[in-house]
Amino acid sequence: MGRIGTAVLWAVALLLGSGVSAQTLRIGVVGPMAFVQGEHTWYGATLAAEEINRAGGVQIGNQRYRIELIRVDTNEMTSVTDAATAVERAITAQRVDFLMGGFRSEAVLAMTEVAADYRKIFIITGAGLDGLLAGRVDRNYERFKYLFRVSPNKSSDLARTSLLLAAEVVQAVRQQLGIPRPRVAILAERAAWADPLVETAGRLFAAPPPQGYGAEVVGTWRPSATATDVTPELTAIQRAGAQVIFTVLSGPVGVPFGRDWGRLRIPAAPVGINVEAQQETWLRATDNLGTYVATLNSLAPGVAITPRTIPFISNFQARFRQFPIYTASGAYGALYILAEALTRAGTTNVDAVVRALEATDYTGATGRIVFDRTHDVTWGPGYTTGLGVQWVGGRMQAFWPRNWQVEGRVVSYAGVRPYELPPWVVEAWRR
Amino acid sequence: MTGPLRVWSLPWALLYLRHEVLALPGRTLALLFVLFLLLFPLFSQDPYWLRVLTLTAIFALYAASWDLLSGYTGQVSLGHAFFFGLSGYTSAILGRETGLSPALTIPLGALLATLAGVLVGLPSLRVRGPYLSLVTLAFPIIATGLIFLFPRFTGGELGLSGLPRLGQSRLEEYYLVVVIFLISLLILWKLAGSRIGLLFHAVREDEAAVRMVGVNTVRLKLLAFAVSALFAGIAGGLYAHYLRVAGPDSLSLFNSIQPVIWSVFGGIATIYGPVAGTFLLFPILEILRVTEELRMLAFALLILLVMRFLPQGVVRGVLDRLEEVCPRCKVRNAFTRRHCRACGVELHLPAAKEVKP
Repeated sequence: MGRIGTAVLWAVALLLGSGVSAQTLRIGVVGPMAFVQGEHTWYGATLAAEEINRAGGVQIGNQRYRIELIRVDTNEMTSVTDAATAVERAITAQRVDFLMGGFRSEAVLAMTEVAADYRKIFIITGAGLDGLLAGRVDRNYERFKYLFRVSPNKSSDLARTSLLLAAEVVQAVRQQLGIPRPRVAILAERAAWADPLVETAGRLFAAPPPQGYGAEVVGTWRPSATATDVTPELTAIQRAGAQVIFTVLSGPVGVPFGRDWGRLRIPAAPVGINVEAQQETWLRATDNLGTYVATLNSLAPGVAITPRTIPFISNFQARFRQFPIYTASGAYGALYILAEALTRAGTTNVDAVVRALEATDYTGATGRIVFDRTHDVTWGPGYTTGLGVQWVGGRMQAFWPRNWQVEGRVVSYAGVRPYELPPWVVEAWRR
Repeated sequence: MTGPLRVWSLPWALLYLRHEVLALPGRTLALLFVLFLLLFPLFSQDPYWLRVLTLTAIFALYAASWDLLSGYTGQVSLGHAFFFGLSGYTSAILGRETGLSPALTIPLGALLATLAGVLVGLPSLRVRGPYLSLVTLAFPIIATGLIFLFPRFTGGELGLSGLPRLGQSRLEEYYLVVVIFLISLLILWKLAGSRIGLLFHAVREDEAAVRMVGVNTVRLKLLAFAVSALFAGIAGGLYAHYLRVAGPDSLSLFNSIQPVIWSVFGGIATIYGPVAGTFLLFPILEILRVTEELRMLAFALLILLVMRFLPQGVVRGVLDRLEEVCPRCKVRNAFTRRHCRACGVELHLPAAKEVKP
């Protein structure tokens, strides 16, 4: 081939190359990639990007765009500085068009400040604290209108759900064990986020029905979030005569709790938040002693929250050989929501996309997603609710919402089974 | 040349530059470093690299402040983040409550950090060595506890966000931080080289001996804590407003350990050592982002290797290869010189011949 031929080939290649890059949407997937939360954010986004690209990409106006994901490891568990700098690098050096992900709330706060500086849309898929959006989007709309949250439900809503799960277990104790006023122990890790939940739970358990649960709170125990032994707390709970343990655990203490609780056969049923028990590795981590533990979760095997839930779980498991955690379903949904908003907007103009995102009404794997005025995901019947799951028979199964009656509506998902009290709890308290 | 040289005259400056700066590789490197910082935006205004350099300057000041206390005086602080975070929080809260600008709230935050430095220094009058380190470690933990205790005031777990910016643009912020950093560094360097700096040294080596010659070591140690906390506070205030967030992370153990790593890597008890350590390690960690999985591993290996082959720190290790001390007058010379630039003594004496009996 002569020089002219080579030059023509180069020119064609450059033209094609420039054409392709002009029709690519670069999405920065942000997270602590060395941790399961970040890894699943990436997996969820990858699955969605592959599906969208296979279907021809995103239609924006007259053009179709392919999605290109940019992996942004924020190292946010260790350093907030690192996280904010990673986002700036993603925006300025890696030229991402949109951002999604984030897990640790304090780091997400710093990251979203950078995103707001550059007017980049940032869809949060892992951090739950209310203050990431409330008090920012509503009070300083012009600066923070680019922030949205798809998952999880904000902390206060997670608290509501966990208390609803506790109500199920209190009811089970009342009906199956014949104890009219069940005794509840509160076991919450020593962390700021747990404080309001402990306070609310204490009040709600003790208040008479219909406002409260008509139970008796026997005490509150606050181990460290990184404690490796909770035997003293559990022994004290047993001595206090509790039939239910309301757990508020997000840290690694969840595993020793499950192990010690099962090993000591504590006659009190645990329910609430235990992030460690949300993962499929739970039974292995607790030497199979964590069976019957119940926790709030977003997905459970075989439970079809929407028609999209089972296909999402199946495809995810087929592709990554793992059960998806909430950051995976969040990132998966976030990418579809963004793609649909871009199509509706018909342009990549940021303000138009923000307006289109605000009009989102998307049914995803974890429920119907509609943003409220703070750009947060709406919680409740008909929207996203979360799931109550319990480890029974070596697998995770959902027990809530099952015939949950609220404002004249009954909320129930296919595949949800009744809650089962641990047999040694039944044995200890049956009258 | 006719007439006496005035201190600020151009010929004096040129002579000083030639004989006192360019004559020594270390000082030449320092001059190049200052020029690089001041002129970098002429060549690139990439916001990402401006951010990296700005944060590096803030952390370098923080590390230098640790060095003044722990390197010079030997009062090893493992809770230096207390001053850094306290100032950041103070500046953030003052700004929110009173509406004052960062130009006022950062100095006020640094002032409170100075007072806190005296408070933290008080235990140093009774405990020493590892016990003092453990005592200093307790302070950021106490501060974190207080932050969680009053979440409405401090923002709790999330911290305080939306702080006012340091400047209108990344470039303005860069120059503001770099100028504050260079001035602070000059003050720290001058202080470390002054009589007080010598006394700091002496306290580290033998406190009892210093007391025996009539020096008030209590006052000296408290002074070291106060000055160190002041500059850590300035760094903390700048950091909070640069990141626009004052959160519990600024008080974390990791944040207390970082200046120790930077200082030991660069060379302790030098002031410029921690600066070099930070300006090497912080950008390297950024460059290593290209190998996401191996980033921290490569970083740790680099530190291990440097510590193995340059145990006294990068700066001392490199300077010892580039410069030589005159055996007679103790003046430093470039390694290329054959005779001392001050007294003319031959620097490379031939090895003495062995006399056989």
